[in-house]
Amino acid sequence: MNIKVALAGNPNSGKTTLFNALTGSNQFVGNWPGVTVEKKEGKVKKNPDITVVDLPGIYSLSPYTLEEVVARKYLVEEKPDAILNLVDGTNLERNLYLTTQLTELGIPVVIAINMMDVVRKSGDKIDIEKLSIHMGCPIVEISALKETGLDEAVEQVKRVAAKGRKIPQHNFSGEVEHALAHIEEAVVHELPDEEQRWYAVKLFERDGRVIEKLSLNSDIISHIEKDIIHVEEEYDDDSESIIINERYNYIARCLADCYKKKNKNGLTPSDKIDRVLTNRFLALPIFAVVIFFIYYISVSTVGTWMTDFMNDGVFGEGFTLFGKDFLGIPVIIEQLLVRLNCAPWLRSLILDGIVGGVGSVLGFVPQIFVLFFFLAFLEGCGYMSRIAFVLDKLFRKFGLSGKSFIPMLVGTGCSVPGIMASRTIESDRDRKMAVITTSFIPCSAKIPVIGLIAGALFGKAAWVAPSAYFIGITAVMVSGLMLKKTAAFSGAEAPFVMELPPYHLPPMRNVLRSMWERGWSFVKKAGTVILLSMVILWFLQSFGFENGRLVMTEDINKSVLSFIGNLFAWMFRPLGFGNWQSVVATLTGLIAKENVVSTFGVLLGNSEVSEAGNEIWQAMRGIFTPVSGYSFLVFNLLCAPCVAAMGAIRREMNSLKWSAFAIIYQCVFAYAVSLMVYQFGSLFTGNADIIGVIAAAAVLGYMLFLLVRPAKTKK
Amino acid sequence: MLEYLSANSGTILVAAVLVLILICIVVKLRKDKKKGGCCGGCAGCPSQGACQAYRPESKEK
Repeated sequence: MNIKVALAGNPNSGKTTLFNALTGSNQFVGNWPGVTVEKKEGKVKKNPDITVVDLPGIYSLSPYTLEEVVARKYLVEEKPDAILNLVDGTNLERNLYLTTQLTELGIPVVIAINMMDVVRKSGDKIDIEKLSIHMGCPIVEISALKETGLDEAVEQVKRVAAKGRKIPQHNFSGEVEHALAHIEEAVVHELPDEEQRWYAVKLFERDGRVIEKLSLNSDIISHIEKDIIHVEEEYDDDSESIIINERYNYIARCLADCYKKKNKNGLTPSDKIDRVLTNRFLALPIFAVVIFFIYYISVSTVGTWMTDFMNDGVFGEGFTLFGKDFLGIPVIIEQLLVRLNCAPWLRSLILDGIVGGVGSVLGFVPQIFVLFFFLAFLEGCGYMSRIAFVLDKLFRKFGLSGKSFIPMLVGTGCSVPGIMASRTIESDRDRKMAVITTSFIPCSAKIPVIGLIAGALFGKAAWVAPSAYFIGITAVMVSGLMLKKTAAFSGAEAPFVMELPPYHLPPMRNVLRSMWERGWSFVKKAGTVILLSMVILWFLQSFGFENGRLVMTEDINKSVLSFIGNLFAWMFRPLGFGNWQSVVATLTGLIAKENVVSTFGVLLGNSEVSEAGNEIWQAMRGIFTPVSGYSFLVFNLLCAPCVAAMGAIRREMNSLKWSAFAIIYQCVFAYAVSLMVYQFGSLFTGNADIIGVIAAAAVLGYMLFLLVRPAKTKK
Repeated sequence: MLEYLSANSGTILVAAVLVLILICIVVKLRKDKKKGGCCGGCAGCPSQGACQAYRPESKEK
């Protein structure tokens, strides 16, 4: 018998962890609410005839958020054979609120109380048998993380699914029950018995979607409206709030009988940690230190040691491992090409173009992996949710919702899913703002650019990488404030409600899995988009016009690439990098940001074997000063993202006008900030150009005006 | 002709392999684009649902 079981529960109750444990899947798990935004299906490993559908985390079946719409649509319209309701044992009251709604659907429900180990550790006691009687469905104790109790849960699901649909059993107070009975009798009596209560409750709440679905005429609506108004007058509240209160009253009655809390007013370990980490004065400095530490370790110490090994050894002359000498990849390939007697142009294409370009990007893989390891750890332990909470207060002052932090968090891996994640923001205005600003946060593709500039021009200084992250956050906030003053973005910020999950040590396999998935996509990109770009780049730099004919040229300054770069170079002169190589690197960065590094790898490589990594640092110092290099970095961090991310912007904005605005805004903003960085920076190095400084001061003045001017409001 | 081919067999062989690799890359990129994915790694992406499965619903709107 094939059984379809829906996995439903509150956000961050461990559904995806349970889904992975049951199905052996590899879905992303994060210790922050809202990880799953769409349902996912998988078959139970030990029972392939059971299909599990992982629904997004929801607090209720009222269709307020996108997640609730998805979950409710599935449960009501597709009617699974059973629901496995995952309940967080450490937060029973709030989790059972959803349970009371799920049991109303008439679909057999099995409650799986998760995190029972934590409940026991805190000394609390839950009488499972009594609770099961109250809720009218079987209850099993499980630990999704430790994979205990899963078999019993699956057996219970099979048992209840075989029994078939069930009439809900819980009751509200007299007047409400009277009204519901009246609605059932008057409107939904033709529906199956087990579904009548849910529809009656929804009609009592005046749920627009249900009214629309049942195609009720105005006579019937006005008929049941009398009952609803009568109860509302009796309770002096609106019908929706009455039902919410009734549910909580019912849960309170149940829990009074079967739940004993050891320490009612005591602080949990998470509360104690939060007293420090979310402290109003300490939270931001701690966050700054954490980010500094992560980037310092990833880009300046551990990551760099490994990256140096990759650049100088694996993609260089060679390396020694366990006392044995190994040749570098370029040397091996060159020897092979010489042995095959390949033409010099093909050798150049492969060594200078592909190996030099792709190798210079792959050299940063260790840094990327180390960075993702730390980010995955922070996500898994619950600290990232706190950052959203801490930044919400700050973001609000700058016209952004704290919910904007979730897209930015996802965007640290890749801007594309980050921009996609903005879909969970309900307010159209806040969502647009998040789409515009998400790519300011450095994604993994920008890490090599940061590493290159930090290494080549700042002697691997520890502050460069964290500063890139803080520039991203500052750009988000400044943009928020400036855009908020415009008529299109003005208005109050949408409230941001987010549950702070308890801190826990994330399982190492989840951290490593997250690190691997994100890091591997970086490697895959180097083997596809970057490789293709480098081949095209090599042709453009190897061919040029001589005497009106397109011929292969030895002089790179006569190449097509140089011609293209020089066309735009004048625009970037005020930013300090008006050389064609930097312009070409910036342009290829629009295909994929890693291309910035690989382009330098190709253009500044010395056509010997080892072009990657440190070999181009010297050449970088020839075309950049530290100030112009930092200006270049800032421009590439903030300007339009790669084509894939621009496509995501286009899809999310669903408007050509808004997409164009987003991309133009990013480029203009990046230009303005880079101009200020270079011109004001030059004041300190003694190379200041008075006209440039005046222009930068004018831009700064205009930005300050945009920040402090009164907000325009929509008429 | 044969003389040219034998003299340049290494170049032809390597160039052919390279062209084949490039064709495979282009095909893969096109496939990924059709699937609606971004730069890869969808299995571990928290927004894969939003990226692909939501597409019909967003069109409905």
